[in-house]
Amino acid sequence: MSTLHPDEASARRLAGLPTGELPTYPVAPGTGDGSLVDDPAVRAPLVLNNRSFHDITEIVCGYAEKPPGRWWLPTFMMAFTIAQLGGLFIGYLVITGIGTWGMNNAVDWAWDITNFVFWIGIGHAGTLISAILCLLKQKWRTAVNRSAEAMTIFAVICAATFPGIHIGRQWMAWFLFPIPNSNAIWPNFKSPLLWDVFAVSTYGTVSALFWYMGMIPDFATLRDRADLRLRRNPEGPRVLPFLPIRTDAIRAYVYGFLALGWRFSSRHWIRYEKAYLILAGISTPLVLSVHSIVSFDFATSVMPGWHTTIFPPYFVAGAIFGGFAMVLLLLIPSRELFPNMKDLITLRHIENMAKILLATGMMVGFAYGMEFFIAWYSANQYEAYLFANVRARGPYAWAYWTMIFCNVVSPQVFWFRWARQTVPVVFVVSFLVTIGMWFERFVIIVTSLHRAFLPGEWHMFWPTAVDIGIFVGSCGVFLTLFLLFLRFLPVFAMAEVKAVLPQASPHHHGNGHDHGKAGH
Amino acid sequence: MSKADQCPSTVHEGPKHKPSKQELSRERRSLLSSVSGKVAWRSSDEIADTPQFRDFLEREFPAGITELFTGSRRTFMKVMGASVALAGAATLPGCRRPDHKILPYSATPPEDIIPGKPLFYATTLPLPRGGVEGVLVETHEGRPTKIEGNPLHPINRGKSSVLAQASVLSLYDPDRLKAPVYFNRKRNNGAGERVLATWDDFVTWGKDYFPKFDKSQGAGLAIIVDKKSSPTRDAIKASLLKKWPKATWVAYDSTESVHAAAGSKAAFGAPMHDLIDFSKAKVVLSLDRNFLDANAEPRGLVHARDFASTRRVEDPTTADMSRLYVIESGLSLTGGQADHRLRAAPSKVVALACELAKFMLPKLGAGADAVVAALPSATISDSERKFIEECAKDLMDGAKKGATIVVAGEHLPAGVHAAVHAINQALATTLVKFATMSDELASDSRAAMATLTADLKAGKYDTVICVGTNPAYDAPDAKAFADAFAKLEGSIALSVGQSETTAAATWALNGTHYLESWGDALAVDGTISPIQPMIAPLYAAIDAAGNPTGQAPMSDIELLAFIAGDRRADGTARDGFELVRATWKSKLNAKSDADFEKPWKRALHDGLVAGTTGTGATPKVNLAGVAAAAKDIKLDAAPAGQLEAVVRAGWMHDGRFANITWLQELPQFGTSVTWDNPALLSPKTAADLGLLPASATLEEPNTMYTKEKYPAGRVAEFEFAGRKVTCACWILPGVADGVVILTPGYGRTNGGLACDGVGFDIGSLRGDASSVLSGVKVTATADYHAIASTQNHWSLEGRTAIVRAVDLQTYTKFAGEAMKDNDEIYAGIAAGSLNFAEKLGELSHTPPNVSSYDNPYNRSAADLNPNDPNYNKIPARGHKLNSKTAQPPNFAIGPQWGMTIDLSTCTGCGACTIACQAENNIPVVGKKEVAKGRELHWIRVDRYFAGDYYNYKDSASINYNEPEYIFHQPVACVHCENAPCEVVCPVNATVHGNEGHNYMVYNRCIGTRYCANNCPYKVRRYNFFEYGLHKFNGDYVGKDLIESIAPDRGGISGSGTHNKINPNLIPPRLREKLDEIERMQKNPDVTVRMRGVMEKCSYCIQRTNAAKIETRLQDLKSPLGTSWVPDGFVQSACQQACPSDAIIFGDILDTTHEYKDADGTRKGSRVHAARLSRRSYLLLGYLNTRPRTSHLLKVSNPNPALVTNEHRRAAWDHPFHDGGSHGGGDGHGNGGNKEHAFFDERRKREDKGYALSLGVLSSKAASAIGGGLA
Repeated sequence: MSTLHPDEASARRLAGLPTGELPTYPVAPGTGDGSLVDDPAVRAPLVLNNRSFHDITEIVCGYAEKPPGRWWLPTFMMAFTIAQLGGLFIGYLVITGIGTWGMNNAVDWAWDITNFVFWIGIGHAGTLISAILCLLKQKWRTAVNRSAEAMTIFAVICAATFPGIHIGRQWMAWFLFPIPNSNAIWPNFKSPLLWDVFAVSTYGTVSALFWYMGMIPDFATLRDRADLRLRRNPEGPRVLPFLPIRTDAIRAYVYGFLALGWRFSSRHWIRYEKAYLILAGISTPLVLSVHSIVSFDFATSVMPGWHTTIFPPYFVAGAIFGGFAMVLLLLIPSRELFPNMKDLITLRHIENMAKILLATGMMVGFAYGMEFFIAWYSANQYEAYLFANVRARGPYAWAYWTMIFCNVVSPQVFWFRWARQTVPVVFVVSFLVTIGMWFERFVIIVTSLHRAFLPGEWHMFWPTAVDIGIFVGSCGVFLTLFLLFLRFLPVFAMAEVKAVLPQASPHHHGNGHDHGKAGH
Repeated sequence: MSKADQCPSTVHEGPKHKPSKQELSRERRSLLSSVSGKVAWRSSDEIADTPQFRDFLEREFPAGITELFTGSRRTFMKVMGASVALAGAATLPGCRRPDHKILPYSATPPEDIIPGKPLFYATTLPLPRGGVEGVLVETHEGRPTKIEGNPLHPINRGKSSVLAQASVLSLYDPDRLKAPVYFNRKRNNGAGERVLATWDDFVTWGKDYFPKFDKSQGAGLAIIVDKKSSPTRDAIKASLLKKWPKATWVAYDSTESVHAAAGSKAAFGAPMHDLIDFSKAKVVLSLDRNFLDANAEPRGLVHARDFASTRRVEDPTTADMSRLYVIESGLSLTGGQADHRLRAAPSKVVALACELAKFMLPKLGAGADAVVAALPSATISDSERKFIEECAKDLMDGAKKGATIVVAGEHLPAGVHAAVHAINQALATTLVKFATMSDELASDSRAAMATLTADLKAGKYDTVICVGTNPAYDAPDAKAFADAFAKLEGSIALSVGQSETTAAATWALNGTHYLESWGDALAVDGTISPIQPMIAPLYAAIDAAGNPTGQAPMSDIELLAFIAGDRRADGTARDGFELVRATWKSKLNAKSDADFEKPWKRALHDGLVAGTTGTGATPKVNLAGVAAAAKDIKLDAAPAGQLEAVVRAGWMHDGRFANITWLQELPQFGTSVTWDNPALLSPKTAADLGLLPASATLEEPNTMYTKEKYPAGRVAEFEFAGRKVTCACWILPGVADGVVILTPGYGRTNGGLACDGVGFDIGSLRGDASSVLSGVKVTATADYHAIASTQNHWSLEGRTAIVRAVDLQTYTKFAGEAMKDNDEIYAGIAAGSLNFAEKLGELSHTPPNVSSYDNPYNRSAADLNPNDPNYNKIPARGHKLNSKTAQPPNFAIGPQWGMTIDLSTCTGCGACTIACQAENNIPVVGKKEVAKGRELHWIRVDRYFAGDYYNYKDSASINYNEPEYIFHQPVACVHCENAPCEVVCPVNATVHGNEGHNYMVYNRCIGTRYCANNCPYKVRRYNFFEYGLHKFNGDYVGKDLIESIAPDRGGISGSGTHNKINPNLIPPRLREKLDEIERMQKNPDVTVRMRGVMEKCSYCIQRTNAAKIETRLQDLKSPLGTSWVPDGFVQSACQQACPSDAIIFGDILDTTHEYKDADGTRKGSRVHAARLSRRSYLLLGYLNTRPRTSHLLKVSNPNPALVTNEHRRAAWDHPFHDGGSHGGGDGHGNGGNKEHAFFDERRKREDKGYALSLGVLSSKAASAIGGGLA
């Protein structure tokens, strides 16, 4: 491609790059990578480096086809080991009892539900990016939606573990489902915990469908490429040296199975687009409902610190906040580890997400302040005590102030453009926000319970090795799944990325038409 | 449940061929804990006939099975290998399949026994130091499961103490001695070896051994029995000493203090028990006497009951209430009830007592000048003098003449006791009478024991028999005793449980528990009551068919009679039944055997001999004797920098109850500490001496609970008269400065798995001194010792709506009006009016249930106005629920169960907690689990220290060193009508019943714990582990491995040292299950919960349902024709035990039936009346949970002359604080409200903001609070 799109030319000019020259990495922070066009007259490029359609295919399929860097296997082994250790802890928990956690008769939920809400919250960003940003026609979502959705699925898997294992008799968990039974006992439909069961399972199902459906065309691409290679070179690489099975044969078979017979026909595409839109429509309210319902676990109770009407919007904002932080936390290292990913995930993407962090961070900050205000305004002694004496000054005040620092203070650096555009800063803040969002749930759950109404039954909560091990294990599961995703699945929605390339525009200059030029 | 169902081949599920090390180690314990001694020890003859055993036998005893004592592992392995082989060989035919035998009630069913229905038998619980409780024992198919007070017994009147409740567990103590153990000195190359024996062996041995004293007239023989009053034992003692006059007989109790006896001897010429009738008391001054505590006094139950009756004020117009002054060194149950409490070191208590006598006696004109002159002069401070003088004036108040009394505690010297008798006589009090005290109880047994130990060391005795005593642990010089005792050929120890003494004895004999034996007891008031067995001795030898064989284990009287040579005609020893009957023939004045049977059976049925209860006499005080005793009073305080120590027995007493896990885990009074006996100091003393717990400060002493995962007390070394002990220190507000309270009975070394290594043995500090040690030196060590307490917060944090309390002055002034007063805020919103208690405290009111829907829960009994004509309309029977037409409960249909708990009379004794534990199969969880806050008690007694209660200060401003109030608030599930737990349970495991129960369905519960989180009362208890199904501190697979890896962390604890493994962390499959003996205690009417299940108070629904079945069978009909459970027909376990009758349970809708009882005729149930009381309020009622348990406001009765606290006095005129008085309205605008409520924590906002939120609902509400909101 010799001719540059005028927007691209402007972008290069604004970025201080000579026209026609490819950028080299790393790009100096002040100039950005070329995506940070701030000229309203110019559409900032969503894909850099003047990539063609084929380039996109090569890049994305390359992650799944070529061997990854040397970092992948050790990282994967480490994550997988951590996940397995977490599994061992879960096994010990189930065999021995919930008492291996640190809870007591005053604080009956602690890390278990903290982790559950934390992971569920993380899961929000994916669907938000895929669905809401899709409906809002935010084109920059195309670069991050696939990995964000993957992250959602994996986070929901981690989240779903905790309600399953946190109950005392895990083997009786099926009581939670409305299964017709001879006892004629149904679940209690008044219980928010049951709403959780439905909300989370619905959310998980829809997210998985959404994710999978989006990947079908990409699976088909992977299938076709493998098939083609196999036809060209039937003696391609083997799975194992002594096994006469070709790697590409397996790819063709597995991806082919997953592609569900996709043939790239227009009819397929039309239906695909419609289904995608419908699922986006279904997912959008789910984004709002799931965490609202999770917040009902607390909001419908009578406990000071839980019984709060602000919780649903507060939780949703917090979930988006935490979810975006996690997206950044995953994509920033991925970008570094797969250098060509930087063409697809640009500084513009990172800046946009940093802005969302700033906005949602202030929403949760407002909610934190509002809780205090209402505690005072309600003139309820127990409520006021909880906020004035317990959260801010009690034995867990350190957790509270950690939360405030991470969630409210740290995103404030994003008022500065430099901070939004400096990847290490964004990474650090995302990390802090992730920590802060975990502490937010911890603060809500533990500090409210450890000093409830009757001072005679006040107890501290101290985590045990099993508490910590299972949480760390869930991080291992999450990372393991994400690494597998990076290695074997289409990390970007190729068709969608291609659709936001300049070449995809009917006005594009190099595509054989010239009405773009003539139009001017 | 009989021995017959134990086929030897099946009882041991363990090794069939080659036992692993683990199995063997498990075997090792089960050997001594198995029901029958099963495999190896059926009878020595059988063993002797077996060739495999010949190598190990000398005489007839098998060798080396006594690992529990000293045997080596190696010998144990040998013997076990052989015994397992024997078991296999002997029972080969049964090896293929378990050969279980069952015993059906077939051909001739036992009379009266209906399987599944408990029977109750009366018996008597002998307690230390002559204490007696008449009890009813609930037995299920022959196994005792629960102890209740005997309603006929004058001490109990249906109530029972903590010890009575716990005593049933000691029957099933897995660490009991199972068989006699003989120390064979010839074995093991002369080093000796302990071997298991049978009672037959002992009898054979004894028949040879004891006749030698016939020649020596008993010289060389010492018998050490515990102090108790038993006519039969006295008779045996008399005959024994008659036969062997040179024998030494010591009745020993290490916790005793004989000053009271000496004092009464000085005053009356003979030692006397006082029989005090507190029910008529107007003013009581207790000088360090813990008279309300059934654990401290034989008549504690009577005192608690009588005193409580003077504390229930209802009608404010005729409010008549006793007043209690307490001067004490520690913090006792009695001090907690005091209207005025003065902390004073023991020497200061003596000084104050002397000053009191000197002030009062001349004024009363008692002619006691000699006494006054003899009393030493003391210096006391002005405030102390004011206390004494105001108290004295109150005591001498003419209007209360005869109804005032001074009582002195056992720690005080005899002279003070004598002077107090003189004062009481001068006061002409009618409250006290005296009964003779036996010489045995009055004797100074610590001195006797010290002498005996010295003589023993000197070789004066060749035979020492310890019957139910444990001097090797608790003698003044226990080590010297144990060493000398162990060397004796004739050392015999009879004990129900293991003890340090049985470990040292030549013959360690497994005695029978009081529920297994015949006996009798004499209460201090003279009541004679029988002890009858409920069950055959659990650990009798059995023959191959499983039937008892040979000599059965002996009780104390049986052994003593056997030693004394008491024989039947055929030469066998007489059993307890014969012995007791022989004694009673004279007691019952039976002329002939035929005459005897009827009163005997009557006595067994009633649990006492009618007419033996004495009322006491009123002997005249010998003032000269008093003066002589008064001369001996010493006032020496401890030197500066040293402490005065008070040794006060706790529930373990001298350690004999230490292996009862229920007692170990029962939160101790004041501290709520479990599984430990820390030395208690006041916060200031602890701070001065550097003995504060880790992370505690003097300003905020209980911060250790928030800063430490395992709060730890500083370990200190205490030195007195050259003797040193180490003990952890802990702080307790209310203890006098410069005083340390020490609790004996802990730090056992051979008492069993639940008590060995638990706490600290402080016994050796005391020597043979009295219970007050003046001049104890304390040195802090660098160590800390973890302390587990169930309650970690001391302050109410100004939450005055939780525990509501007022002074009598307020009550009389305002309570009457408040009843009539129509609440202005709620007028137009909710019908009815608020009572007095409901108006007190912040957030005190239940808001009207304004629902957008037609809320069926609105039809609550609480909503109904008693004046409403429909109030008593009980719909016809036939109200049924089925799945199609299920309706929410209609609480207007009776019976509707409810409860009230009276904070005025609750002393915080803990009887309710342990009664509930016994009734409801509540397991103990161990120290580490308690420290984590996982105790399972369904009813807990919250304890709060309050400073200036009326000033609403937060915790920071409470002077914890000198709290003004100590509140106790029992809290169990309150069975909310709008239960927050029910809505949140996702699986419908906690649901509401038609009779107001909040059900907990264990089968359905999956343990999400959401209910517990949403319970504002935090009364739900979670089975974090499988607590109830495993042996406490039992063995587990891999224990040896862990011990080999980490010796200090291995082993098992949950109770003992802090760094040991918590056995609950071992997966349950690897743990040792409860053995069948322990399982026998479980109440079959209550589920034994597994892990992962929530549990909580059920209002003893099993009792309620049994009562309903019973009343329907009897076709009891109320006058309205409906089925009816009469009031009092069913009692909850806590209610039944509560000594001060603070808990009332019943049908709150029972308003029409007439009942006649001791108080006269009443209409409606007691709980109904109590709920209508002016003092009744709903805990956290403002949440609209509608609790079925209401609490009754505490009223105290201070002497206005002694109340210097301005806030408290001001509250007499403004009880509703600032703004709480809706009726008055005037309080709303006052100054406090102007402060910024949120940040100054003064909580001056109270109802103002609350009313504001209500104002949304009603403009009238807003106008009602008028200016306050403007």
